[in-house]
Amino acid sequence: MPEVQPEEQKAKAGHTKTQAGKRLSKIMLNDYMRLHQKAADGAFVVWIAIVVPAELFSGFENVVYAVPESHAAMSAGKGVGPLQCEKAEGNGFSPDLCSYARIDLGTAFDGGKDSPTFGLPKPHLLVSDNNNCSLLVKWFDVYHREWGTPHFILDVPFCYEQQKDRDFDYILSQYRDLIAAIERMSGQKFDSRRFREAVQNTGEALTQWKRFLKSAAHRPSGLTVFDSFVQMAPFLTSRGSRELVDHYRLLADETEDHVARGIFPVPNEKYRLLWDNIAPWHQLSKMSARLAGLNANIIAASYTYCMGSLEGEFDLYAYDGGDPLAYLARTQNFSVCPHGLELRYRSMQKAVEEVGIDGVVFASNRSCKVYSIMQMDMLKRVTRELNIPAVMIDVDHADVRKYTEESVFGRIEALLELIDVRRNQARS
Amino acid sequence: MDLDNKMKSLKDKGGRIIGCFPLYPPLELFHSMGLTPVVLWGLRDFVKTSASADRHLQSYACSVARHLVEFVLSDQGRIMDGLFMYNACDTLRNLPEILHCGLEENGRSLPVFKMHIPMAPQEQTRTSGYLNAKILSLIMELEETFGVLFSPERFRHSVALYREMRSLCKELESRVARGAISYGWYSRIMQEGCFITIEDHIALMKDILKEDPLFRNESVVPSPAIAIIISGILPPPPKLIDALEDAGLRVAGNDIASQHRSYDYTPETADNPCSYYVDFYFNHFPCPTLLYSADKRIATIKNLVTGAGARGFVFIGEKFCEDEYFEIPYLQKILKEMGVATLPLEISIEDDLNSTAYVTRLEAFSEMLRG
Repeated sequence: MPEVQPEEQKAKAGHTKTQAGKRLSKIMLNDYMRLHQKAADGAFVVWIAIVVPAELFSGFENVVYAVPESHAAMSAGKGVGPLQCEKAEGNGFSPDLCSYARIDLGTAFDGGKDSPTFGLPKPHLLVSDNNNCSLLVKWFDVYHREWGTPHFILDVPFCYEQQKDRDFDYILSQYRDLIAAIERMSGQKFDSRRFREAVQNTGEALTQWKRFLKSAAHRPSGLTVFDSFVQMAPFLTSRGSRELVDHYRLLADETEDHVARGIFPVPNEKYRLLWDNIAPWHQLSKMSARLAGLNANIIAASYTYCMGSLEGEFDLYAYDGGDPLAYLARTQNFSVCPHGLELRYRSMQKAVEEVGIDGVVFASNRSCKVYSIMQMDMLKRVTRELNIPAVMIDVDHADVRKYTEESVFGRIEALLELIDVRRNQARS
Repeated sequence: MDLDNKMKSLKDKGGRIIGCFPLYPPLELFHSMGLTPVVLWGLRDFVKTSASADRHLQSYACSVARHLVEFVLSDQGRIMDGLFMYNACDTLRNLPEILHCGLEENGRSLPVFKMHIPMAPQEQTRTSGYLNAKILSLIMELEETFGVLFSPERFRHSVALYREMRSLCKELESRVARGAISYGWYSRIMQEGCFITIEDHIALMKDILKEDPLFRNESVVPSPAIAIIISGILPPPPKLIDALEDAGLRVAGNDIASQHRSYDYTPETADNPCSYYVDFYFNHFPCPTLLYSADKRIATIKNLVTGAGARGFVFIGEKFCEDEYFEIPYLQKILKEMGVATLPLEISIEDDLNSTAYVTRLEAFSEMLRG
């Protein structure tokens, strides 16, 4: 085994950046700079929900897109979440609304002030998607009404079971309507060759992403969930690009290389946990460090392993080079939120078995009802049928004011004790 | 109202009861197939605990969801023969499987019929074909589950009944607007209508409309009362309704989802259930839960306010209802531009026990309107 350099060990432990970490910062900076520049140069700007297949926009020569949810997550991570939330609340928006929405509304109605990316360029079109959550449609309606910006609603049925043919056709027809709407509004022609290339890139990038996530199966794990949370970001800002493929390849290569060389983020890993919900963006470093101090590592998350999979699955659903629009329609439900309890359980069961999980942390997230409302029954089922302990903690993905660290860690430590008890029982 | 007795009475009439949520299910279709639909909304006054629901839902689920789950899981819920739900908010769409888990824990099960109502605007995407297919699937599922057959004649008959019921509801509402009957009384009648047969609801309203309400002192709003609009997913709790009317406010316009939004529109023709429901949903009174209706909503609210000559607008916010809450700041802005004062109230599950603060706010609002 090659000798491990102290710098590399420090990098994986989160004290310095890995190569993929450094590259991520550059990509994000470049993506936002490019977005602003192109918008200033007259590009047609679309704001989209996180699950709108952005490859569609690559089919146009001069259409750029921004993802308010991603921007809100970044704002929370950079510590300006509460500031922007308060601005929205000052404008009459309830503090019970999703904190992504409040951050975005606070940012947008204050002209991008205090944003780590100077906000987002004003849109020519809003594209929401009720598949992740219907509140996003209401959130985009706020801009639609205030600014008069056209609002296209992708209406995607919720999945209690695997996608049905009728739903697939319905989604496909809406993609075609969206392309036609952008052609009409932007005056640009959709180029199917460019579009196919973007889907091909996404397919390759997701292959690399799944390869990266597989490093969690190693004992100790080659990654922490916090790595995977932050590395999701370019999937949202660079979807369909060659740059994304290259980045995820570097990420997977580097992580595999570290595993091969015995460099692990939590070298004395004793507890392997799974996280269920959106990342607590305001807590990534603190939570990661404190868990590592307990020799605990969250190594998988439903939020990250859903990328590239079908509903109820864990493995990659690869792009086979066929009709790219059909591939996007079939994978439209990839994120966890549009899945019913049965589907979520099935994919979590696979994750637990394939990665090797000792316990599950259900993060009950006040800002994301669609993700959270059903966790109480999921928790019961996981503990009963998978025979692993689980705990529920209270978080808010982007509003740190609704988070209490000691209360959360009290419960996580109880979970670790429970894992110990079970191990001791198994030994005796 | 004794809900247990009402439900038992429904059952005794031989009907198989299908509990529906959220607010705008295809009631006529169920009725025409020999089922008795009961909309499980606004159970606040009948479900006095949320202990069972709290084993399945976090505290930040709205009271509507918590009461609904509590009711279905309780002994009261045993009276139902099936459940129907369509897509609405992010909380409700998770309920079918949660209810399944809860019922299973109690050794029970119920058939659940789920339907996706297209939420894309018609002018953006042709959604009627999809909805047609969904209606046909629902009919087939109902036929298979309950051993009944769809009949176009019975459907037309049911539509006629529901049209009559909605027309009577509007007539009662117009009397509230004129101050001839109280909003509290009207709300009780509307609520009762959810738990009796459509035929009984029609008969009840006809009886009431025959009477001269001016002889019923308890039903008449103190005069002179100030015209306001009331808006929300649910009407206010009874104590607040009393406070509102005691403060000299008259509900001259109704934008409550379980009231006016539900009965405002019935399609003209009922030859085919598919085209009927395409018409029903896409011409429905705009509601924040019907995502495609957003563009019509603001104009509708403006017309409602102008038509009623309202000077105030009271939002009855259901805590945690995101669909409603995203709209409130914009509505407040346009109402302000129209010179209409607004009062946003937020009602949570415990607020039946904490009404004093609301009463004070309503009194202050009334005083402000009186200038």
